[in-house]
Amino acid sequence: MTHEVNSRPLPPAASTPAAAASPSTVDRVDGALEWLWHFISSMRTAMVIMLAIALLGVMGAIFVQAPQAVLDDPAAKASWLESVRPKYGGWTNVFDTLGLFQVFNSIVFRILVAALTISLIACSIHRIPGMVHTARNPRIDVGPAFFEHAPQHEAIVVRRSAEETRAVVEGVLKARRYRTLTSDDGTVHIYADRFRYAPFAGLVGHLSLVMILAGAILGGMYGYRDSQFTIAEGQTLPVAAEPGLTIQLLDFTDKYDTTTGAPIDYASQVVLYKNGQEVDRHTVRVNDPLRFNGLTFYQAFFGSAATMSIKDAAGKDLVTSEGVPLAWTTNDEGRHIGSLNIPGTSYVAWVTDTLGTGDTSIAPGQVRVEIYTAGEGTLVDSKVIDQGKPVTIGNLSVTFERASQFTGLNIARDPGVPLIWIGSLLLFGGFVIRFLVPHKRIWGRIVSRPNGGAVVGMATLTHKDVTAGSEFENVVNDIRTALTAPAQA
Amino acid sequence: MAKLSEYAFVASMLATGLAFVFYLFYAVSGLRAARMQTAGGPGGTTPVGLISGPRTAAIGRYATILTWLATIFLLVSLLFRAIVTGHGPFANMYEFSMAFAFGVLVSYLYFERKYHQRILALIALPVALGMLLYAATIPATIEPLVPALQNNLLLTVHVACAIVAYGSFAIAFAGSYLFLLQTRHALSVLAITFAGVAGALVGAFTGGANADKSAFTYAMIAAIGTLLVMAIVDWITNHGKPAVEPSSGRWGLPKPMVLDEIGYRAVVLGFPFLTLTIILGAVWAETAWGTYWSWDPKETASLVTWLIYGAYLHARVMRGWRGNRAAWLLVIGFLATLLTYFGNLIFGGLHSYSGLG
Repeated sequence: MTHEVNSRPLPPAASTPAAAASPSTVDRVDGALEWLWHFISSMRTAMVIMLAIALLGVMGAIFVQAPQAVLDDPAAKASWLESVRPKYGGWTNVFDTLGLFQVFNSIVFRILVAALTISLIACSIHRIPGMVHTARNPRIDVGPAFFEHAPQHEAIVVRRSAEETRAVVEGVLKARRYRTLTSDDGTVHIYADRFRYAPFAGLVGHLSLVMILAGAILGGMYGYRDSQFTIAEGQTLPVAAEPGLTIQLLDFTDKYDTTTGAPIDYASQVVLYKNGQEVDRHTVRVNDPLRFNGLTFYQAFFGSAATMSIKDAAGKDLVTSEGVPLAWTTNDEGRHIGSLNIPGTSYVAWVTDTLGTGDTSIAPGQVRVEIYTAGEGTLVDSKVIDQGKPVTIGNLSVTFERASQFTGLNIARDPGVPLIWIGSLLLFGGFVIRFLVPHKRIWGRIVSRPNGGAVVGMATLTHKDVTAGSEFENVVNDIRTALTAPAQA
Repeated sequence: MAKLSEYAFVASMLATGLAFVFYLFYAVSGLRAARMQTAGGPGGTTPVGLISGPRTAAIGRYATILTWLATIFLLVSLLFRAIVTGHGPFANMYEFSMAFAFGVLVSYLYFERKYHQRILALIALPVALGMLLYAATIPATIEPLVPALQNNLLLTVHVACAIVAYGSFAIAFAGSYLFLLQTRHALSVLAITFAGVAGALVGAFTGGANADKSAFTYAMIAAIGTLLVMAIVDWITNHGKPAVEPSSGRWGLPKPMVLDEIGYRAVVLGFPFLTLTIILGAVWAETAWGTYWSWDPKETASLVTWLIYGAYLHARVMRGWRGNRAAWLLVIGFLATLLTYFGNLIFGGLHSYSGLG
């Protein structure tokens, strides 16, 4: 029965079961809906959700977060957990069960973000009618009590007539770029305001968050990302994101500071081909990605490669000076290793790098080449070969031409990014306007006195700034000055 | 040039320390004047609640001059450093800490000019001094920028915005701290000070020498945990009690109403800059790291900070949250700011260039 306070009859068209039930049920449903709307559109709800997300965020910052690629694969997840076990010890599994290693993928986080979005939209919808009304049809004739109890209010007694006074007051307000609205019911009511559409900037600022979120969702759903794309010097590889697009790495350079050994530059010279035609050429650096047709190629990582040539038994070239990125690492010895499908055969070559000086099994200047059958993965033959000399492995003639480098690129297409940037711009602009430009409103009231002259009451809703003189005071002072000045001829 | 920069830095540190001592005397002398007045001295309250005798005012003026000197020295130091390195002085924790202190000093001076509340310095200057002392523990060697930082425009603008935001938040913190000190929350506020100083000391002994990061992490977590518990206890025990009349100051401190206003103004200044910092960070991340957002610990911490100050801006106009709770949000917000600032040291992640080796 407590909900009856807000009850009002539902329209007869509502054919929900509740409508068919007794009026008290209708009232209760109505009341509950009203309460629900009040709850989701309340600022308090939004604020509590914000703080809850902040708390989750703290968790996400304190605990190492597992990369997305790891989460999709149970085996990778298990090995990732082992890698953080030294840090968290016996707590590792507890933290994992609590979801602390994947806070931003958790159901709780998603629910909170969704709730904040709903609250934000509801809050905006709830306020728009009032804001439009305040901007378009503000209340002009406020009662006399307002002029005694408003946070800032002033009264001026003048000798002039009410009509004359009104002209002066309006003149001062207009000179200060106020819009004035007046009504006269025996008492002259004046409403003056500036920047009446400024509050909508705050609204735009808030709703732009929805746009940013939409951009993030769009990117997540329709975006493409390959953060592990490896290509060796001299190699040309297809780009899976766009049919017919191939990328060639001409050269990779890494530079270091001679005294500290700190990295200075990573640069990959690449050429893009579309259906065999060169379409772009760029030196990709960490702060200088290659952008082509919605795709972006970022410098991400690099490593050693081996440039190989392979001929078949008849002497026909199968692979000519092609780099093999040694992007993998063996578990037992930590050697760099990479593979190459040999075209025209059903073989895969695995190339293993030397560990450097002191390595007895693969000396510097050597690589180990293992030939496997592509399907079954049975080892055909394996040899450690020297640089520059063709060696027969299986029935193939393999040459290790030279040690080279590969570059690791991050290839991404994110259709959500424009929305993110537009949203960010609106967010920043909206808040700046909201904070810098307040909607200034002043109400005035001019009452004729029985023995001639008039009383001007002025009031505003804003509180006086603690120290600085207020706009309201300045306006009132101007009006006072104008009213005491001799009347114009 | 690099040497000159270091001399200016030391000069600034000394001036800041000396200014703080003067501000302390100023506060004590103001407190005495306040006592005398409540004991029945001559009336005549100043409009902003601070009681100032002629002697007090003179000490305050010297303190202000010293703060100006400290700021100018620091500016000189940062400028020389920028000239030597050829980029904005924001590339490692040494430069960034100096810039943080500079941000705090400048926003303090701005608010002192605007609100004539020197007492804020009692909180703001130790923050600045702490940052300078911290910077002093980091080697000032100049190293080339790692590839990810080689973006002069974004490096300068992104970090400069962060400095403005952090500086304003330090002032908001000072305001809310003095606010809570007067509104029956003195105990918890002292607990915060204790936790903060303890955390900083543990940090200086462990993290500063970079010997054991995990000890530093646990100390920080413990300090923050203590704080949260104290805040909750305080919240519960003071729940429902009427707030102290906000228009009357205690112990010669500014009126809570004034402090509340200062806190709000500081956030209104800092919040858009924090927003811009995050947006520019996203722009930079999209250029250098390949994605505009990757939940890097520092990114996450900055978002947390943004959410807390966002919540504050709402809380301040809400019944039941105005006043004490809003002030608590400012304290928590500044802790989040510090967490963001030190985040790369504590949590690692993509922002993990620090100049600490």
